[in-house]
Amino acid sequence: MAGVLLNNVVKRFGDFEIIHGASLDIADGEFVVFVGPSGCGKSTLLRMIAGLEDISGGEIAIGGKTVNDVEPADRGIAMVFQSYALYPHMSVEQNLSFGLRMNGNPKADTDRRVKKAAEILHITDLMARRPRQLSGGQRQRVAIGRAIVREPQVFLFDEPLSNLDAELRVQMRVEISRLHKELGTTMIYVTHDQIEAMTLADRIVVLRGGHVEQIGRPLDLYSDPDNQFVAGFVGSPKMNFITARVLERGASGVTVELAGGTRLTQPLNGPAPEPGSKVVVGVRPEHFGHAGKGDADLSVTIDVVEHLGGTSFLYASTAAGDDIVIQRDAAEVSDAPEITVSIRKSYLFDDKGRRLR
Amino acid sequence: MRYQNATAYRFLAPYLLIFSIFWLWPIIDSFLISFQATRTVPWRFSPTFNWGRLIGDPAFFNALKNTLLILVIQVPVMITLAIVMAVLLNSPLLKARGLFRFAFFAPVVVGEVAYSAVFRLMFNLDYGIINKLLNSVGLPSIDWFSNVTPAMAVIMIAVTWRWAGYNAIILLAGLQSIPQDVYEAATLDRVSKLKQFIYITLPLLKPIIVFCAVLSIIGTMQLFTEPFLITERGGPGGGTETLGLLLYRQGFRSLNFGYASAIAYTMAGLAIAISLVQLWLTRDPK
Ligand SMILES: Nc1ncnc2c1ncn2[C@@H]1O[C@H](COP(=O)(O)OP(=O)(O)OP(=O)(O)O)[C@@H](O)[C@H]1O
Ligand SMILES: [Mg+2]
Repeated sequence: MAGVLLNNVVKRFGDFEIIHGASLDIADGEFVVFVGPSGCGKSTLLRMIAGLEDISGGEIAIGGKTVNDVEPADRGIAMVFQSYALYPHMSVEQNLSFGLRMNGNPKADTDRRVKKAAEILHITDLMARRPRQLSGGQRQRVAIGRAIVREPQVFLFDEPLSNLDAELRVQMRVEISRLHKELGTTMIYVTHDQIEAMTLADRIVVLRGGHVEQIGRPLDLYSDPDNQFVAGFVGSPKMNFITARVLERGASGVTVELAGGTRLTQPLNGPAPEPGSKVVVGVRPEHFGHAGKGDADLSVTIDVVEHLGGTSFLYASTAAGDDIVIQRDAAEVSDAPEITVSIRKSYLFDDKGRRLR
Repeated sequence: MRYQNATAYRFLAPYLLIFSIFWLWPIIDSFLISFQATRTVPWRFSPTFNWGRLIGDPAFFNALKNTLLILVIQVPVMITLAIVMAVLLNSPLLKARGLFRFAFFAPVVVGEVAYSAVFRLMFNLDYGIINKLLNSVGLPSIDWFSNVTPAMAVIMIAVTWRWAGYNAIILLAGLQSIPQDVYEAATLDRVSKLKQFIYITLPLLKPIIVFCAVLSIIGTMQLFTEPFLITERGGPGGGTETLGLLLYRQGFRSLNFGYASAIAYTMAGLAIAISLVQLWLTRDPK
């Protein structure tokens, strides 16, 4: 069992800096998810922890021991690849036992570990098959099994579910969560799917362009994002962003005017931007209420309504042309082409995307 | 449906006709000719005339022995060399990869006559570079073309030089189709580079290795240019005469078409048989 510490980790490919100093302290047994858009450096960071990429700057420690120059196999980690990376010419049983056999592990112990992993993952019946005779979900189990057999201190997952269909993805997500409870091992999990991140993580690390944008528990990221990027990334459907202008700073906070003339006052502790400067008001789809029941009212024109059964999503636009999504109970949706909604909860961001609070 | 097929066949007819006349018919005809006594005029049907002769002909068995000897030594050596070359070509440490790839492939496009002439020169007794090299490290000159064993060696070296790169390029394509992350997984499993090669690369490359081996077997069974040009028509004294050369001698010098056809069919039969054995030996256990 071991925690993982990243201290100002930098990665350069040639002259090109990909990771610009990531620092992170992962506790023993914690489930941490790296999330971010494609190309932000999630895989690179994970592969640096694994030792598959060398570290251009900073320090990585696993279990209190600096591993910058430690061979991948000696870091006590096991990795599950997005493409599974199973040995195509070996049976499932051989795939699981290959590493142990190559290292002269006693046969009885190898058999025991393979058997245990197969039981945990319910692949006992598949042991004689080759990878190409397995479905995607079964391959994924084998790949996870191969990691379990190593009895690592830290599991690394690189988008393990992205090649699976939606239903299987949900199912495997639950399995991975169960596995974490069962083994209690530190897990670092990379995904660009924010739902996976929200459901699996003890803590989420949001990355963008090689920078750590925010680190926090899923619900903290949801309810208290540090910036516009995190606010937009976490939550589904996305948070709506409506442009606004600062009017004044009063005793109760800062008052802004939305493009349609709607005024909204927000409590503010930090410094307020100059009156007249541009800000962005963020409202989650679920934070729109009935007219008069919130901080401010907003009139919108409905473009499209999506009925999902229990809830409905209204795709609408404001007078100023901002596109917004409103979440409603299906029963409360009328046919009216124009409605007024209230903003029950909102976030304020300055013109650089930083949260004003 | 049937009508459409008929139309299709009418469009295909010119091709099928030409295919039959120039490809299918010679194959069938040469088979028939192998049952004819072609040394008499007119030819007459005599199944034992050629096939009977074949079974007891020392020249045939000499050529067969030479061909098989070249096959069992040259093909494995060349394939092994080709694998090594392919692995080196695939190494991320290699600079100027394109240049090497070209250099490895170049022998295939060099004209046969030119390359044979160069090999004759290189192995020349008095002023060949090979003997010069041997002398420079204190070894005596070898009279490459007057003795059977060195002459055979020259042929094997020449054929290997010519085709190893070609096979290496095919194997390289196979190597590059092995996903990198499989090796990464093995690295995490603490499997050394050498073991990765033995337990991952070779098994995954096996179908391609077998493919190259079968191609080489077929090619070597038909070996003709090198013994014809480099060792001067199978010299010394028939010591490097191959089946291909014997066929040429019978068919084009003695104009004994029946016997030449019988030899040709024997060569094809052997190539198929050896390739099948090869495929069977290396089949996937199921
Ligand atoms: N070997 C390399 N050489 C140069 N640049 C690289 C290399 N590997 C990755 N990069 C770059 O590093 C950046 C981060 O890549 P990385 O694979 O970590 O992204 P990611 O967050 O995992 O994206 P995805 O969600 O698409 O997998 C990308 O801009 C990529 O182009
Ligand atoms: Mg990635």
